[in-house]
Amino acid sequence: MLVEQLGPHAHSVLRQRFEGAGAECRIGRDLGCDIVLDDEHAAAQHALLTLLEDGRVRVQDLGTRNGTRLGGKRIPAESGTIVEQAEIIVGTTRIRIRTRLAALGPERLFRRDYVRRHRTPLATAGVMACLAFGIFLQWLDAPSPLLPGLTKGALVALGVIAVWTAAWTLMAKLNRGTWNVRVHTTIASMGAAFCAWGYWVAGLVAFAVQWSFLVRVGSVVVALVVLAAIYLHLREATYYGRRIALALAGAMTLVIGITAWLVEIGVDQGDVNRMTLGPDVRLGTARVVPNRDIDDYLAEVDELRIAAARERQRSLLVAPLVDAED
Amino acid sequence: MAEGARKTVSPFVRMACGGLSARCTLCRSASADRSHPALSYTWDMKTGRLIAAAWLCLFTAVAVPQAQKPAIAAEKPAEKPASQAADTTATATPKAPAASPDERAPDEATPAGEGVDAAAVDADIAAQELSGEAQVRLDAARDAVVQIRGFFDSSESSAFHGSGFAVKDGRRIVTNYHVVALAVLFPRKYRLEYLASDGRTGPLHVLAIDVRNDLAIVAADDLKLPVLNLWSEIPAQGERAWSIGFPLDLGLTITEGVANGLVENSIGQRIHYTGAINAGMSGGPALDRRGRVYGVNVSVVTERQLVGFVVPAKHVAALLARAKEPLDRAYSAQQLRQRVTAQVIAYEAEILEAPQDAVGTQQMRGYTLPTQLSRYVECSTIDEKSPHVRVRVEAIRCRIPSGIVAQPGLYVAGLSIQHRLLQSLGMHPLQFERQVNKLAAAPRRAGSAAHVAPFACSNALVSLDGFDARISTCVRQYRLLNGLYDFDVTVVEIDDTSEALVSRLALQGVAFEAGRQIMERYLGGLQWKP
Repeated sequence: MLVEQLGPHAHSVLRQRFEGAGAECRIGRDLGCDIVLDDEHAAAQHALLTLLEDGRVRVQDLGTRNGTRLGGKRIPAESGTIVEQAEIIVGTTRIRIRTRLAALGPERLFRRDYVRRHRTPLATAGVMACLAFGIFLQWLDAPSPLLPGLTKGALVALGVIAVWTAAWTLMAKLNRGTWNVRVHTTIASMGAAFCAWGYWVAGLVAFAVQWSFLVRVGSVVVALVVLAAIYLHLREATYYGRRIALALAGAMTLVIGITAWLVEIGVDQGDVNRMTLGPDVRLGTARVVPNRDIDDYLAEVDELRIAAARERQRSLLVAPLVDAED
Repeated sequence: MAEGARKTVSPFVRMACGGLSARCTLCRSASADRSHPALSYTWDMKTGRLIAAAWLCLFTAVAVPQAQKPAIAAEKPAEKPASQAADTTATATPKAPAASPDERAPDEATPAGEGVDAAAVDADIAAQELSGEAQVRLDAARDAVVQIRGFFDSSESSAFHGSGFAVKDGRRIVTNYHVVALAVLFPRKYRLEYLASDGRTGPLHVLAIDVRNDLAIVAADDLKLPVLNLWSEIPAQGERAWSIGFPLDLGLTITEGVANGLVENSIGQRIHYTGAINAGMSGGPALDRRGRVYGVNVSVVTERQLVGFVVPAKHVAALLARAKEPLDRAYSAQQLRQRVTAQVIAYEAEILEAPQDAVGTQQMRGYTLPTQLSRYVECSTIDEKSPHVRVRVEAIRCRIPSGIVAQPGLYVAGLSIQHRLLQSLGMHPLQFERQVNKLAAAPRRAGSAAHVAPFACSNALVSLDGFDARISTCVRQYRLLNGLYDFDVTVVEIDDTSEALVSRLALQGVAFEAGRQIMERYLGGLQWKP
């Protein structure tokens, strides 16, 4: 049988093999045990594993206060229980037991980790894309003089990438002992570049098809990219499994999204002077939808009467008039 | 007499010497402690400042006409060393009235010529001279003027206040609509009280309102006051006039000024009065030189100095005929608001009425831009500040130059149009586009969340006459005055990558149909021809 002590992320921190019928493995804080635990919730002599003749294992609790748990239930102290493979909890430590009888699944197919193999060119490309966007955004404002303005854009882009990457590499160092700078740089810069350029292009398309909703679709895409990036960072920097990493990434995306929403929209949502003018105009560009006729448009304006009335109702609900209760 | 004589001294001299006497007070306190070594430096500083102030005083005085010399002479001793000057200036003010009538500047307050011979005019001027005339006017009007105070709910301290005066049979009191507006719009929440000159107080009721001319008639059941006589004509320009009221809750006050005739091009007629009308004097009587009431004070526009407005008295007569019974007894709050709304809509309909002939337009680089959407619109071509050194902006701005108060804090001015033609000076199309978008989206409306609901908007790309444009229309309703709308239409021309028209029409406080019609007139007027 193989006995493994598991760490907090379910990876094995200690493994020991026992052979021959009748072989015993004691688990506890006592130095005489086969597996010595540094766990204040475990007894000195906590559990006993015995390899039976048929290859299975008997798990016994040695009459402890906290007991030994298998699948959430306490193992009876006297008789114990017999297993082929199991994960038991001794105190607060997880112990995995495996015997020859446990069937093994097929080996996992080896997939070449593209990012890891090409991390240098990818990281470079990502950072370049971010730099380009920072400079482009500054250039759009046509600063005068030009050079300091563009430098500012480049430095801001670099700074953002650097801070984000630094946080994740530090996490990787603390969790896994390696920095993985280039991999994290790749994830961060690629994600950022995709969001930034994607959002800008979405604006172009939104004007071309005159579909204001597209900008909102753009926000959803940006959110998905952020989710993917954080998930990848988590997988690279920690030992968390897929589901936990995904849940964490989802939660972080949600927090970032809500913060951005509060800052960007929520603050002036109640602003009575706020006007939504539609997608930004693109001068002299090709447009997919045909122009409207003026009468057609004025008919649409008539519908604003209802929309405005609805806004008024809402406003009166939120902030009633002084004599509303009369 | 003392008061009058001081007035002959030019404001400059008064300012300089006022400062001087204030400084002397400082000197006196400093000189008392002169023995203290630490204070000696400060004292020297103050002496220096005193002498400087005295020189300034003298200098300004030399610059004013000879006629005012006596006043200067009185101030002159201030040049002496500080210890003496302190004593002298303290008595300087009483000495000032040495000015005798024949030495006064002859150009002061000449009434507009009425074809009277010179002697009569002189006598008239003499009668108008500073003197105690203001005092006489005030005494004559004192009992007819009341302070109108508004209270919220059962509160004991007033929420707002203004002035009013008795007319007709002494039971009708004239005031401004904006003074009593809260009590009209929220009859269950605000109540009005009068405070008469003899200290009597009691409840007031609104009998009639005229939002357009900012007038209201109020009455109290038990109140009968001496009346002031209305005079339905406009005083000649330059005629001396007085305004009476309770500015800033400081008690009954009279201010002296000059009536300057009807304001040119004003839709809601206003007489321009050059003199102080401060908050709280609203609704008080404006008296001409014979003591007749030629109008009612209005103090709404606050950011101007000494430019006041007076509603001509002829509008009061029409309103008096309508004043029958208290509005708050006859109508519900809802109905009262509807009446106010209806009056605002009627006003707007008149000022926004289409001109007889075609809509007036102006040309700008091939564009025909509608400007005269109604005959009251005034336009100016302004040299607008460019948002960027490489963008040239030409702008025409049009507006209707007057407005009304629909509700306290809500000034409705009707219409404004802004045409801006942007030209790129060698910018990349993307860069120019960015400037156009920034300009189009720049915030520009100042509405308070207390008065209006948020905008509802719709936008589309529309083919106009000769060019394509993105049109964004935003409409919002007034919260209290149901049926009034604000319109905001932004037109951005999208054909050219180096030239763009950003045009905007803003309407305030209009009925929806009216707004839509003007919008149609405006969009129909936009045209481009190569």
